[in-house]
Amino acid sequence: MENTETDLKIKNLKKQFGKNKVLNGIDFELKEGERVVILGPSGSGKSTFLRCINWMEEPTSGEIYFDGTLVTEKNIRKMRRNMGMVFQHFNLINNLTVMDNLILAPVKLKIMTREVAEKRAKELLRHIGLPNKAEAYPASLSGGQKQRIAIIRAMMLNPEVLLFDEPTSALDPEAIGDVLDLIRELADRGMTIMIVTHEMGFAREIATRIVFIDKGRIIEEGEPNTFFSHPKTDRVKEFLQKVL
Amino acid sequence: MNSFFEKIGELFSTPEYIDSLLHGFWLTIQISYFAILIGMILGAIIALIDTARPSKWLVIPKFICRVYTTIIRGTPMALQLFIMFFVIFAIKGFPSIIIAILAFGLNSAAYAAEVIRGGILSVDKGQTEAGLALGLSRTTIFFKIVAPQAIKNIIPALGNEVITVIKETAIVSMVGMYDLNMAAKDIGSGQNMASYIVPMFVAALFYLATIYLITFIVKRIEKSLRRSDLRAEE
Repeated sequence: MENTETDLKIKNLKKQFGKNKVLNGIDFELKEGERVVILGPSGSGKSTFLRCINWMEEPTSGEIYFDGTLVTEKNIRKMRRNMGMVFQHFNLINNLTVMDNLILAPVKLKIMTREVAEKRAKELLRHIGLPNKAEAYPASLSGGQKQRIAIIRAMMLNPEVLLFDEPTSALDPEAIGDVLDLIRELADRGMTIMIVTHEMGFAREIATRIVFIDKGRIIEEGEPNTFFSHPKTDRVKEFLQKVL
Repeated sequence: MNSFFEKIGELFSTPEYIDSLLHGFWLTIQISYFAILIGMILGAIIALIDTARPSKWLVIPKFICRVYTTIIRGTPMALQLFIMFFVIFAIKGFPSIIIAILAFGLNSAAYAAEVIRGGILSVDKGQTEAGLALGLSRTTIFFKIVAPQAIKNIIPALGNEVITVIKETAIVSMVGMYDLNMAAKDIGSGQNMASYIVPMFVAALFYLATIYLITFIVKRIEKSLRRSDLRAEE
């Protein structure tokens, strides 16, 4: 657990959908234990950036190194086990119970035996206060419950990094609090986190670094207090005036 | 009206007539059963090729599937049956039941393929993404996540296709095959009862009973597949 080790190094990442250029060359580094919040107006490419990291979207060009290894089509599946992802719409698997959602990957990928996986799943469920939901199907859960289960599902494999793609955007205010509490707890335990969010207060509180993206480029980045109190660029000033 | 019920009584009390109807019914069932079997298997294969991610190996198969479904769905079934009988299988002594099974099976495959394709595409993309993000293989994602959800959407429409095939086989009488429809026509002809309405009515009951049974089975399957949709666990 060296604090200086780079988990993630991204060089000149570009992504375009057809003729639409969404990412125009992003250089980025993430070190172990960092908590990076990605901000930016809608359509700026911040979600696409996050989704390119674990190849939910295949980058058009550029390089991504994870633990020093270049991510390619061939090794991406293995890499993904170490990069958990939490989605805006939870994406719990509808035809599986909560328990099966949690143990599917660890058992299928032969990382844990079924017994060990179930034990861990039960512990995590108890931890988030939903021990009696193991046999429930996702359709019977509230949004907040789904998202917290999606988070512990990502934690089942003990990933090195957790990627959050607007984890609270589809939730009601009360559920938002529950989900943010859980993310905050992971942060306190030293989890390396990247998060795209519109929750400015939370961003300021949790981030060790803020990255501001606009038009597919990183415009400004820095420590949260400086970023929010003394933004360097006009674009960020304008953005903060609108959202704060 | 009196004579209608008398005639029905006459039909049911004449063993030859009942024999003819059952004979025809059996042929209808045989053709339908095997045609549906071929249709579903071939339809599933076409749907899988069609929904697979683009790759250079699939360019030609995808094209063939597209052309196949377009031609089959774009031309009348009766015409396809004639072409199978009088062009492709214009071989003396070739069993007509096999030709009929192939004609209906190949036709049904195109429709089944569309139904299955639609079912697969209707599964939310987020479900696949969840599997990908967990490091699962595309194969695991298909069998554990996409297919079980797609089947729920597919079953009702596929049940519809089964019903369509059973009724559509009635046109084999056009190429002289003795199915349920032909049996009714035969019994109603001047040499026999000299009334078409009665045997046609009875044949209709046979079709109706068969289809009612199938509808019942499909509903049961649908119900058992719907477990994970329960809103609350009571």
